[in-house]
Amino acid sequence: MQVLDVLDERIIDLNAQANNKEEVLTLLSKKLKDAGYIDDVESFKKDIYLRESEGTTGIGNYIAIPHGKSDSVTQVGIAIAKLDHEIEWETLDGKGVKLIFLFAVSNNHEYARNHMLLLADIARKLGNDEAVERMLNATTVEDLKSVFA
Amino acid sequence: MKIVAVAACTSGIAHTYIAKEKLIRASEALGHSIHVETQGTIGTEDELTPEQIAEADVVILAVDIAITGTERFEGKKTIKVPTSLVVKAPKQLLQKIESELNK
Repeated sequence: MQVLDVLDERIIDLNAQANNKEEVLTLLSKKLKDAGYIDDVESFKKDIYLRESEGTTGIGNYIAIPHGKSDSVTQVGIAIAKLDHEIEWETLDGKGVKLIFLFAVSNNHEYARNHMLLLADIARKLGNDEAVERMLNATTVEDLKSVFA
Repeated sequence: MKIVAVAACTSGIAHTYIAKEKLIRASEALGHSIHVETQGTIGTEDELTPEQIAEADVVILAVDIAITGTERFEGKKTIKVPTSLVVKAPKQLLQKIESELNK
């Protein structure tokens, strides 16, 4: 199991259409549901918003990392949306957000330890400004995967 | 500087690891050596060794929650900051620490 195996095309949308946080979270949550990662969109979103209320998930450089632990998660994964314009988000640098990584993590994470390690690897890449620049310029899933390869 | 650090965020999923990478890259850019332990949902990774701690000039705790093992740093110069500060301005943080140490 490698990072590339976590990057699932079914839950990645690099031409996402959304005008605000709610629309992006709904769009990505629906993708997670359709691909079998979560069993309920609304309860999953509720847990994501709980984490949103606890602190800023906009890490700067147009990147946001909404995440949370939810009982509705049946498979650990990460849904990704890229927008062609900034949307409002609470961020550390005051800019908007164009690239959203939605982490889906179950409350029972012991069984999913390998997946959690891979999510940590992905998070680390988000701390690398050059890698983030390449992600922002990615137009295909292959482009995006190449950043993590 | 020789730095050891511990990163730990509220949910232990993302900020912990972003902070780790930011600290490592900023240290490399500024010519410092660093070891970063993470305490996340998956437990402790890259646990600091007693030697690394003994050699360190400074301990950075980039933590939003209570962490385990702080007794290891007794007697060391220790700076505690939230992970958000490390994610936002890692180089500035290290520069500030360095100037404080050189006072």
